[in-house]
Amino acid sequence: MKNLLSAKDAKKREGKPKNTFWLLKNFFAPLRVLRGQMILTFLACLALSAQARDELHLYNWNNYISDATVARFEATCRCKVVQDYYSDNEEMLAKLAAGATGHDLIVPTGDAVESLIKSGQLRPLEKTKLPHLKNVDPAYLDTAFDPGNRYSVPYAYTITLIGYNVGKMRELKLPTDTWAVIFEPGYLKKLKGRVTVLDSQRELMAAALKYLGYSANDTDEAHWRRARDLIIRAKPYWAAFNASSYIKELTVGNIWLAHGYSNDMFQAQQDARLAGRPFTIAYATPKEGAVLALDSMVLHQSGPRPDLAHRFIDFMLEGKNSAELTNLIGSGNPNRDALQYIEPAIAANQAVFPPPAVQRRLEMLKDLDRNQRRVLSRMWTEIKVH
Amino acid sequence: MREARTGLWAAALLVYLFLYLPLAVVVVYSFNDSRLNAEWVGFTWRWYRVLLADEGMLHAAVNSILIALGASLVATVLGTMAGLAIHRYHLRVLPILVITPVAMPEILLGVSLLLFFIQVLHLTLGLVSVLIAHITFCVGFVAIVVRARLAGMDESIFEAARDLGATPWQVFRRVTLPLILPAVIAGALMSFTLSIDDFVITFFTAGVGVSTLPLQIYSMIKIAVTPEVNAVSTLLMLLTLAMILLAARFDRTVLRGRG
Amino acid sequence: MTRERLTRWLVAGPPFVFMVVFFVLPALIMVAASFRIPGEHGGLAPLHEHGAWQLTPETYAFFFSDFIYTEIFLKSFLVAALTTFLCILMAYPLALLITRVPKRFRDVMILLVVLPFASNFLIRVYAWMIILGPQGALSAAVNRVAGAFGLEPVALLFSPVAVVVGMVYVHLPFMVLPLYTNLEKHDPLLLDAAQDLGANAWQRFWRVTWSLSLPGVYAGSALVFIPVLGMFAVPDILGGTGDILIGNLIKEQFLGTRDWPFGSTLSIMLTLMVLASAALAMRLARRSLAHA
Repeated sequence: MKNLLSAKDAKKREGKPKNTFWLLKNFFAPLRVLRGQMILTFLACLALSAQARDELHLYNWNNYISDATVARFEATCRCKVVQDYYSDNEEMLAKLAAGATGHDLIVPTGDAVESLIKSGQLRPLEKTKLPHLKNVDPAYLDTAFDPGNRYSVPYAYTITLIGYNVGKMRELKLPTDTWAVIFEPGYLKKLKGRVTVLDSQRELMAAALKYLGYSANDTDEAHWRRARDLIIRAKPYWAAFNASSYIKELTVGNIWLAHGYSNDMFQAQQDARLAGRPFTIAYATPKEGAVLALDSMVLHQSGPRPDLAHRFIDFMLEGKNSAELTNLIGSGNPNRDALQYIEPAIAANQAVFPPPAVQRRLEMLKDLDRNQRRVLSRMWTEIKVH
Repeated sequence: MREARTGLWAAALLVYLFLYLPLAVVVVYSFNDSRLNAEWVGFTWRWYRVLLADEGMLHAAVNSILIALGASLVATVLGTMAGLAIHRYHLRVLPILVITPVAMPEILLGVSLLLFFIQVLHLTLGLVSVLIAHITFCVGFVAIVVRARLAGMDESIFEAARDLGATPWQVFRRVTLPLILPAVIAGALMSFTLSIDDFVITFFTAGVGVSTLPLQIYSMIKIAVTPEVNAVSTLLMLLTLAMILLAARFDRTVLRGRG
Repeated sequence: MTRERLTRWLVAGPPFVFMVVFFVLPALIMVAASFRIPGEHGGLAPLHEHGAWQLTPETYAFFFSDFIYTEIFLKSFLVAALTTFLCILMAYPLALLITRVPKRFRDVMILLVVLPFASNFLIRVYAWMIILGPQGALSAAVNRVAGAFGLEPVALLFSPVAVVVGMVYVHLPFMVLPLYTNLEKHDPLLLDAAQDLGANAWQRFWRVTWSLSLPGVYAGSALVFIPVLGMFAVPDILGGTGDILIGNLIKEQFLGTRDWPFGSTLSIMLTLMVLASAALAMRLARRSLAHA
C-alpha cells in the first residue's frame, strides 16, 4: 500500500517551503478572486430562485417538448417550468426507485406508468380540471396499463421501427418492410457494419419476438431464448447498440439501416435534408408488427404543485399545443383536435400516423416482474458478450 | 549510447503526440460550423454563444463549483486531522479507513453510498449526497499529502515546543500548521480538482435535477453530440490549464529542494 | 496523560467517525443488500415480510449458475492487464528519458504529461470518439491500408480497440509518475559500474535499470490496473456491440434493471478481485525491494 501512496503524492511531498508568506500571497490572491466570483454567481442563483417561486417541475424525455410551447405555458400560468430529462424509461424508473422526488409531472411510457401505479407513486387525476381531455382519440384511452385513465393522460406516441438510407437500400435491393432485414444474415451480409439497433433490452427483444411471430409481451423463457439466439446470430453484422446517436450516423451516411424510434427517424430525415445530403432517409413499420410506445402525463406523489401540473396537462391537451410537438419532432399524436394544426407532410406519413391495418399489429409493452427482469438481464448480458 | 538516446526521444515524442493530438482535435472542432461535427465545414464562434446561453450548463457549473468548494473545505479539515493523527499516534485502523476509498475503483464507492443514502438515511439524492460522497474520497488524498509532509520533518521541533509548555492547540497553531501549510493547501487544491472532475461517484449519488459539469458532458456525449461539447471542453481545459500552471509555479519555487 | 488521550481523540475522532459512517457502514450495507430480494418495482423488498426474514444467498447462486458472469470478470481482467501492459510500454521510455535530461527540463516534461490529465476524463474519452470516428483521418488511413491489402474496411470506433485505446489514454499519467519517481532515484554510478564490468547496453538496462525500477512498475501497475477493472464509462462511450465490463454490468443492475441485490453481489465480487490484485502487487513490490 505504501507504494501506491508514494506514487500519487510523489510530486507533492517534495521539499520544504522557502517562505510561507510567498505562498499566502500567491495562492490566496487568486482564491480570493475565485471566491468573489463565487459569491456573485451564488447571489445570481438566489435572485433567480426568488424571482420564480411558482415552479412546475417536469421530468420529461430529452427533446420532448417545444420551447415555444413551454414559453407560452409559462406566460399563461405565470410560473416557471423546470425540466429534468431522461433518455429511457428504465433510467427514469431507476432514478425514482433511488428516491428522486419533487417532480410534479412525468411523461413515462405505458409499461413504466404501470410500474409507477403499482408501486403507488402516482397521484390520481382530477378529471374536472381537465376539460380538454375530450380531445383525445378514444383509441388511446382506457389502456391496459391504466384502465379508466385514473392516473394518466396520453401525451404523444412513437413507434419502434426501422429507418434507412433510401438510395443504399434500393441499390442493394433490400426490403424495407420487414424485421428480416435486421435479423437475417442473408440480408445483413450486404449491410455489414452499417446497421445499428437500439441499446434497450425490451425493445430489441420485442423486435426479435415480433419477427418470430410471438407477442412483444411474450414472457415464455423458451421464446425468449429463441429471440436471444436470433439476436446473437445477427449481431456480428451490426455496428453498434446505441440509444440515440443513430440519428447522426444515419444523417452522415455511416449507417444505412437503424432500429429506432419514429421521432428520431423523423429528425434524421430532416437533418439530412437540411445538410443537403445526396441521399434521403425514410422509415417504415415492419409488416410483422412493432412496439407502440404511448407516453402519458402522470402526476408524481412527491410533486408539490398538482394544481400547476393539472393546468399543464390541460394546456397540452389543446390541439394547437399538442400539434406543436408533432411538428417539431414528428411524434405520433393521440389528440384529434391537433390534426388540423399538423403539417400535411407529417399527417400523411404512415409511419407517424399508421393506417388501421398497421395499427392492429402494434403492441404496447407491459411491465415485467422482478424475476423476469433478472432473467432478461442475464440474456441481455449473453447477447452483449457473445 | 547516442542511438539509445535518439530512440528514447522518438518514443517520448510519440507519447506526447498521443497525449496532445486528441485534445487539439477537441479544441479545433469547437470552432466547426456544423451541427453534425463530422467533417470540417468552416470557422464559427456559434457553439460558444450556444454554450453561454445554455441555462442547464450554467446551472451545472454552479453546482460543480459549490460542491467542489464544500467538499474540499471539509475534506481538508478532516484529512489534515487524519494525517496528523496517523503520524503522531501511529494508528493502525485510521490509515486503512482513509486510504481504501482512494485505492478502490470509484464505482464501488458510488454504489455503496447510493445504497446507504437510500436504505439507511432515506436521503433524497441531491447536492448533499454528492457532497458527502466527494468528501469521502477526498479525505484520503489530503491525509496522504499531509502525512507525507510530516514524515519529512524533524520531530524535535514539536518536542521543543511541548517542552516549553505549549498546549497541544498552541503547538498546532504556532508550529505544526505553518510547517504543513503547503501540504494542506496542496491537499485542498487536489480535493477541489478531484471533486470538480469526478464523474463516476457523482453519477451514482446525484439524483434527478442535480447536474454537475461532468454529468452534463456525459449526457451530451451519449445523447446529442454537437460541438457545444467541444466548446465547454475547451473552456474547461483553459481553466484547468490556468490552475495547473499556477500550481506548477508553486511546485517549482515552494516545493523545490527535494528531500 | 488523560489530556494526551483527549487530544488524541479530538484529532483522530472526527475523521474516524466520518469514515466509519460513510465508508465502512455503506460497505456493510452493500454486503447485506446482496442477500436481500429486489423490490417488485426496484429498490429492495422489505427485510421482514410474510412472517419471515427475507434473506437469501440466491444472487450468489445466480452469479455462478452461468459462466457468463465469470466470463465478463475474466474479460475485464484481460482488458485491465492489456491496458497496464501498454501503459508500461509507453510510459517507460518517457519516464527514462525525463530522468536523463538536464534538471531544469524535467519539471516541464512531467508537467506536460500531467496537463492533459487535468482536463475532465470524459473530454479525453470524447476526443477519441472524434478521432476514431469513421470521418476521422485515422479511420481513413487505416482503411486505405486495409483496402490495399484487399481487406474489408474496419470500424475503429465502437470496438474493443477503441476501448483499450481510451483506457490507456485515460490512465497513462498514473504510470508515468511512479516510474519517474522511481527511476529518478537510481544512482548513475551503477550503470557506469556495469559498463566497466563489460555489460552491453541491453544488459545494463535489463539487469540494472529495469530490475531496480520494479517497485515503480508495480506501483504504477496497481494505479492503472485497479481503476480499469471498475471502469464503465470508457466501454460505454467507445465500446461496440460486445464490449461490456464489470463496471457496465454493475451500472446496469442499479440504473437499468433495478436489481440492487445482484448489483451488490457483483460489486462484492469486484472488491474481492481488487483486493487480490492489490495484495499481489504489494507482495511483488516487497519482494523486488528485498532483492534490490
